[in-house]
Parts: sequence; structure tokens; C-alpha cells
Amino acid sequence: MIKFLAKGLLRDRSRSLFPIMIIATGVIFTVLMYSWMMGFTTMFIRENARFETGHVKIITRAYNDLIDQKPYDLGLMNVTEKIEMLTSEYPQMHWQPRIYFGGLLDLPDENGETLSQGEVIGFGVDLFSDSFEEELLNLEEALSNGNLPTKQGEILISSEVAEKLGIKINDKVTIIGSTMYGSMAMNNFTVSGMVRFGVQAMDRGAVVVDISDVRSFLDMEDSASEILGFLPEYKERPTFEIADVFNAKYNDENDEFSDIMLPLRKQSNMEFMLNTMDDRLGIFIFVFIFIMSLVLWNSGLMNGIRRYGEIGVRLAIGESKGHIYRSLIVESILIGIAATIIGTAIGLVFSYLLQYKGFDMGSLMKDAKIIMGSTMRAQVTPVSYYIGFIPGVIASVIGAIFSGIGIYKRNTAQLFKELET
Amino acid sequence: MKKLNFILIFILISTFFLYAEYPDGNKILKQIDENLYAKNMISTSQMIVHGRRGSRTMKLRSWTEGDDRSFSEYLAPPKDAGTKMLKLDDKLWIYNPSADRIIQISGHMLRQSMMGSDISYEDMMEENELTEIYTAQTVGEESFNNVSCWKLVLTAITDDAAYQTKKVWIDKEKLIPLKEERYGKSGKLLKTTEILEVVKIGKRWYPKRMIFKDVLKKGKGTEFIIDDIQFDVDIPESRFSKAALRK
Amino acid sequence: MIFKLAMKNILGAGFRTWLNIFILSLSYFAIIALQGFYVGWQDDASREMKNWDFAGGQYWQETYDPYDPFTLEDSHAAIPEDLQKLIVEGEAISILFSPATIYPEGRMRNIVLKGIDPDQNLIELPTKYLVDSDGEINCIIGSGFADNLNIKEEDYIVLRWRDKNGTYDARDIKVAHIFSTTVLTVESNQIWISLPTLQEMLGLPNEATIITIKDEMYSKEFSGWQYRDLDFLLLDLTNLIQAKTVGSSIMYAILLFLAMIAIFDTQILAIFRRRKEMGTMMAMGMTRPKIIQLFTFEGVLHAVLAIFMGAIYGIPLLRHFEKVGMKFGADAKDWGLSGLNDALYPVYGWKLVVGTIILVLITTTIVSFLPTRRIAKLKPTDALRGKMTK
Repeated sequence: MIKFLAKGLLRDRSRSLFPIMIIATGVIFTVLMYSWMMGFTTMFIRENARFETGHVKIITRAYNDLIDQKPYDLGLMNVTEKIEMLTSEYPQMHWQPRIYFGGLLDLPDENGETLSQGEVIGFGVDLFSDSFEEELLNLEEALSNGNLPTKQGEILISSEVAEKLGIKINDKVTIIGSTMYGSMAMNNFTVSGMVRFGVQAMDRGAVVVDISDVRSFLDMEDSASEILGFLPEYKERPTFEIADVFNAKYNDENDEFSDIMLPLRKQSNMEFMLNTMDDRLGIFIFVFIFIMSLVLWNSGLMNGIRRYGEIGVRLAIGESKGHIYRSLIVESILIGIAATIIGTAIGLVFSYLLQYKGFDMGSLMKDAKIIMGSTMRAQVTPVSYYIGFIPGVIASVIGAIFSGIGIYKRNTAQLFKELET
Repeated sequence: MKKLNFILIFILISTFFLYAEYPDGNKILKQIDENLYAKNMISTSQMIVHGRRGSRTMKLRSWTEGDDRSFSEYLAPPKDAGTKMLKLDDKLWIYNPSADRIIQISGHMLRQSMMGSDISYEDMMEENELTEIYTAQTVGEESFNNVSCWKLVLTAITDDAAYQTKKVWIDKEKLIPLKEERYGKSGKLLKTTEILEVVKIGKRWYPKRMIFKDVLKKGKGTEFIIDDIQFDVDIPESRFSKAALRK
Repeated sequence: MIFKLAMKNILGAGFRTWLNIFILSLSYFAIIALQGFYVGWQDDASREMKNWDFAGGQYWQETYDPYDPFTLEDSHAAIPEDLQKLIVEGEAISILFSPATIYPEGRMRNIVLKGIDPDQNLIELPTKYLVDSDGEINCIIGSGFADNLNIKEEDYIVLRWRDKNGTYDARDIKVAHIFSTTVLTVESNQIWISLPTLQEMLGLPNEATIITIKDEMYSKEFSGWQYRDLDFLLLDLTNLIQAKTVGSSIMYAILLFLAMIAIFDTQILAIFRRRKEMGTMMAMGMTRPKIIQLFTFEGVLHAVLAIFMGAIYGIPLLRHFEKVGMKFGADAKDWGLSGLNDALYPVYGWKLVVGTIILVLITTTIVSFLPTRRIAKLKPTDALRGKMTK
């Protein structure tokens, strides 16, 4: 019977094309919406991981006590050795040392006297070994003017600071800071480019330089504030497992400079943020699927009504009501499945597109305090593949079930009469 | 009237007797100033900063003329070598060789610690000649590190003294302050200096090893050791110029 | 006539119609509920900010710049006479700022010391705890900052500062009270003490950095002082909420889109199934525009009925939100949402409700009209036979 019905559906386009289009559209939106929402959490995690937390983070215990102040004088030593060891122990992970420091940016006039001065927050990151940090900090996109540093001694400054202090590309500026041991240190940098991260906290005074420059500048040879660890893809459980193993091995309560590893979820207030976020996204997805189901239910209902005339004829030629009803439902299941497959496929294409290309929402996000990139991306998860079946098949079939009840309510003559319309 | 006069005289006499056995504080101050503050001097010294992660020794050479002018150059460790500081009156400049820049230290930067030590740039700027800023009263005798000392309380007579009061323990024989406590206006102890070793150079006694401590900060303080000191040497005028910072 | 006919027609479709109406009513509800949430947020947050910090506006000593710590040291001046009068009358308060240093765990930390009149009641800051007793200086600090410093009530903080001449002083000051506020500008990195005490500590009698005034209308100019009105002071908040509102309008668009699929679908079906009816109407002399009007109106009627349906469940629900508020948990501040209380009370103004209704009605009208254009090409003869004119 299914074969027969499928043939009928295929040959009579008015019975299949329009409903399939509607259901598929609904499914496309459901899949897209779901992936988009999932992308929101993923993006939140990713953006925080990139700028702040890593998937895991290694710091000293002493540093952890004052982590809000990012005290680089309490940072990690022997970083090269540590990273080598980490790389051999966790070959799938990527480790990135960073130094955060505060300082004064000083622009000299032609006689070397201070022309203007402002406070800055420095990011010392590995810019030259590979492009990992460049991607993490989204530098390519953030670059509003000039170029990324290509050699030592070059610096990126936030365009807001540049504007305030009157700095132009290729200007030589001096950063005044204090070394790991508290000595005053100065270093000259050439401004290679200006960046705008779209995050107020950073745009107000961030500068980015290569970590090797910062190390010689702040007398931090082979040191770092933090080492951020990245899995190929963020998964929560492994970060906890890796941190547990690491801490059992290295974290020594009696040594304030022993290392401690924090998984992303356990850093600052990530736990709270992720929880509330999950709750809210859950509600939103539920509401969306609910309404989408109503819409497709409605369309399933109308498909049935559209065919009352045909049903009249079928009743007239002696088909039983139950048989017609069942065939209608099987048809709707076939249509639902076909449409859902088509819709899911198209929805996934769009979702993947959004996952890889992203959607720039720069102007909307400008004032968020939480560190976030301006490009929103979708995230396709396994659920994206079957979420469409809820509105696509179930809802449209329920619609058919309800509209089909009409068959029982009407007598043959009446249905037959509808043939005329 | 007569009665009042009598009481006044009595009070005067009694206070005189109370302090009779102690020498006049201001006189001691003057002697200290005469002893310690040569017209000019050149010294080589070490500064040892005790941090949370171990100690670090810096070497520096200083040229000082009176109270207003000083010039110092860091010789070690390599990271700090070549850093020079020039103080002229109430201005302070720092030259950093790796940046080849001269920066004037002002505003809130003055509050920062100098080279990670317990001494701030502000402390550096403080006038050293005690008699110009303080009036002293000898309040007793106490021994410090088994040396018998006069205990003096110094009270600022100018508005802009960095510390309102100081307590100073002065070696009775050598007339050199062995311990100093600096207090805030409302009497809170802020910084201490202890001299652990003195040395005779020519006719004067001079501190050789001392410890500075910012009491509010956690840590073991900063040690200062004078390796070599010459008094009343001719220092060319050009030494105290910004041009000398770059040389 | 059209109204009655349209009403009869759509109610005749029964269940389907009610389903459409329900979907539409959800759009109304969601838009109003969410918008109300943002309006409530803005209201709450700006009220909190006014209550805790800005009151009716502020005069800033001209060199004061909250984002530039360099300016703090010199940003103070004698209070203008007129403002002094206001202060005496309780219509204004003066606040003096000074950079200072504290030593949590023996590490130096630079903070801002703020002096305020303990007797003031213009802003909500619990300044009554600032009355100094037993020769002790009492201070109050915000709970977030207290957590950050690991400090409890009754603890002592070592505070070091310099007076106007640069003389050092330091005291152990007592944390008399830890207050909880949603307004970050009166809590982050700052310690509040009594104004006369601070003026004495700094040697700056009768000087201030900012003067907060009660009356929003007061805007007299004083040389050396910048008047900052509420628009200026609340700008960050306004921008933030605007950004969020724009972000959430994407959601309204999706919601409306869903509802419109339903309406569009219904209209297409109606026009497809009721050709004969149209033919009859035309035969009876009804013009095509009139028929288009009728069908469009039927579509719109869904939206009109949805208003009532939405009202039935929406009003009690929204009223409930209004009363109970949306819970955010005590950590709302972690989101960096200054001025956001742990519960947020949405506000539904008539502007919002009417605006939403108009938006949905216009959209529905357009969507209802689009399919009916086919009617314009319909020949009565074809229609009577139940055919669509190609």
C-alpha cells in the first residue's frame, strides 16, 4: 500500500509538492534555529576560551589566589619544558602561553619627550610560531588599520587608545611597565596595526605583542602568566578528567608556586553563566518547536481539508472510511518524512554555512561586557539531524489525524458534493 | 599675676629637669646632618630585594650633591644595567637603555616601588637633611642591637613633609641613626629602616648595611649595602644633567 | 457588511481558525512579554542607578574623568556657593574622591577613596554607618568588592593616602557595613568614608569632586564644573539595552514569520477552495476589489481575534510576571548587567501594547492581501465553474 500511495503522491504534485514545501520550510527553520541556538552556547564557550579561559588553564596556586588581578610576577616558570611535557602527555591538545601585563603607553615627540601617555593592558601572546593565537584572538578580523606584527618589536594597539593618544601606524611608542621582579622596564615598539575587538573592556586599552618581546621586556625569560590548553573541539568531560589527573600529579598544597589546572567551567563565573544560558536556550528552543509544530499541524490539517472532494469520490466508489483515513495518515507520514529529510538536509546546509562563515552582528554586540566576538556562528550537533522530525513528521501527522476525523463526520453524499468545488 | 608667674617658672623648671639629662634633640639632628650629609659623594652599593620568589641583587653607582641633586646608574643585573636616574630638586627622570628613552616620573607613578624594592620613588624624592624639615626632641635612651642609643621623636615643621613624625634611635657615640620609624599623620607606622653595620670612612661613621621595610607590605624588606663611598669629591656639573642620562 | 460576512466565514472554518488565532496570539504575547522585559530592565536599572548614584544629575569637577585614574589626584575644587546652599537644604550632596592604597594580603592595591556626608538621604548608599566613633574611621564597601578582597564586616583595612601637600598617612579603618547594590559605579574598586573625615584627611575642607543634585531640572552653569545630566550618565545603559533590544527583534521576526506562514497558508487554501463562492459573489454584482477586501479582511480578522485570545491568557500571565518578576539569581551582576536586580519586573506600557498590535495587524494585512491578488484576474465564468483563471 505504501508503494501505491507513494506513487500517487509522486504523480499528483498538488498532493505532494505544496505540503512538502511547507513542511520542509518549517523543518529548515527548526534545524537552523536549533543549530543557531546551539551555536550561541558554543560561541560563548569559544569566545571565553579564546580570550580568557582556554579549555583548560594552568597557573600557579599563588596566581590563582589573586587571579582577578592577573599578577604576572606570580606566574609560571620553565614554560618551554612544561609545554613540551604537556604536549607529549596530551598530544591531541594545543598549549598556548600568555602574559597579561599592565603598563603605560608613552608616545614621544621628536626630541624623545613624552607627548602623551595612557594606561594599557598588554597581551603577550605567541604571534610568530604559528597562526594559532592569531585565530584565537581573532586578530585578522579585529584589525581595523595597518598590519599584524610580522617581526619582533611590533605592536598592535586598540584604535580607541590610538585615537586618544594621537598615535599613527608606524609610530614608535614606548611601553613602561615593571619586570617580574618589580624593576621599571621600558621597551620601544613600532605600531604595526590597530585593532578593534568589539569588546569595551579590551578596546579601552588593549595592546597585543609577541610573547618573546614581553619576556625580554618584563624579564620573564621562559615564564608566562598562564598556559591555556585547547582540545581540538571543546568537550566538557575531558577537560575535567585532564584537570583531575594533572592536579593529582602537580598541585601541591604546600607549595604556593606549584601548578594548578582549571577546566573552563570552573573558572571565574563560567559555571553560573553556562547554567543560566542552558536554561534560557532550552526554553527558547521549546517554545520555537512548539509554535512550529502548531504551524505544521495546521498545514497538515489543511492538506486533509483540501482533499475532501477526492475523498467523496473514493467513498462513492466503495472505499471504506477507515481505509481512506489510514491511507491519508500513511500519506502524511510519507510526506512528513520526505519533507523532513529534505528540510533537514537544506537546514543542515545552511547551518553548516553559518557554522563556517558566521554572521556578523558587530553592531549589536558592541556593549557586551562578556568577551564575545561579533561573528555569530551556528553549531551543528547530532540533535540537529533529528530535531526536525518533531515538527516535520509528528506535528504534520497529528494534523492529518485531526483533519481526517472529518471523513467520519460527513456522509458520502456531502463529501461527494464537495467534489464539485 | 605673681602666682601665675610662679607656676610658669615651675613648669619650665620641671620640664627642664625632666629632659635635663638628655641632650637637645635638634642639636643631635644637626650633628647627624653634619656627619652624614657631605657636600657631595660618590658611592657604589648593592640593593637586595627580597621577593616572594627569592632575592635579587642590584648594583648601582650614585653621585650625590647636597640634597637636591643626585644621579645613579644601575650596573647589575644585566636586565637593569644601564638604567639611570636623575633627581633635580623635586623632579625625577629615569633613563632606560633598551628603550633609549628618558621618562619623567610623576603623578601616580611616583607611588610605585623603585625597582621592586620597599622604597618608592616618592621615598627617593624625600629631602634628606633632617634639620630642614623636622624639629626633634630627645625622649629617652634605648639600646638597639646592643648599642646604646638616644631615642628622638621628630616632628615635621613644614607642611609638605612626606612623614609627619619619625622616631629615630641614634648611636650615642657615633652619632649615627641606627633605626628609624616613619609614621603617618595619625600615628600609623609606615616604614622602618634599620642599620645593621656601620663603617668609619675618614673621620665619619657611615651606614654600611641597612634594611628598608614598607611595613604595610608583606615581605622581608629591601637590603642596602654600601660597598664603597667617597666624600667631597669633585663632581662635574654635567653629571647632573639630562644629557648625562643618555651617556 | 464585510465584517459580518468575514466573521461568519472564518468562524465557520472552526478548529483551524482557532489554531491560527492561537499562533498569532502567541506572537502578541511573546513580543509584549519580551519587550516588557527590556522596558522593565531599563526602568529598573535606571531607577537603581538614580537611587544609588546619579539622583537627578551631577556636577563634575572639570578635570574629573572616571576612565582616567591620572585625573583623580587633582580633580577637586571648592563647592560653588549656590550648590553649597542646595547641599545645606538637602537638595544636593557633595562627594570627594581621592586615590589611595590598600594592602590586601600585603600586596599594594590602588583604589578610589570616596567621601560622602553620613547624614545624606539623597542616594541609597547606607551612609549612616559612616559616622565615626571611638576615634575610628568607619567605611562601607560593596559586597562584590568585599568578596574580591576577601573582607568581612568588622574587619580592618590598612589604608594609606597622601594629603594635599603629599604627606603620607595611613590608618586601619573599620569595615562598618558591607552593602549590596546592583550599581557597579558605586562599588567597584572603591571605599566610602565620611566626607568631613576625608576632607580633613586630605586637608581639603569644603572641596568636592562631584556634586549630585536631586532636581533633574536644575542646570545652572558654574565655572570649573561640568554639568552631567541623566541622559549623559545613563548613556551606557541606554546603549546596552538598545543593543539587546535589536538582538531580540530577530526573535520577534522569526515568531511573526511563523505566524505569517500559517495565515498565508490559510489564505491560499481559502482562495483555492472558495472559487465558486467568489463566482457567485461576482455574479451577484460584487466587484473584484470588494471581494479582495473581503478575503483580506478575513485574514486580518485572525489577528484581531488573536488580540482577544491573547488577552485572555496573556493579561493574567503578564500581570503575574509584573508581580513576581523574573528571577535572575543573586549572580545577575556576574553578567555585567549593572543595575539589574536579582528579580526583574517587566513593565508593559500602552505604547508597547498598541505598538505590537499595530505591527502584527499591518504584517497580517500584507500577508493576507498577497494571495488575494489572484482574485483580480478571476473571470466570473471560470469562478462559477470552480476554475482558476490562468
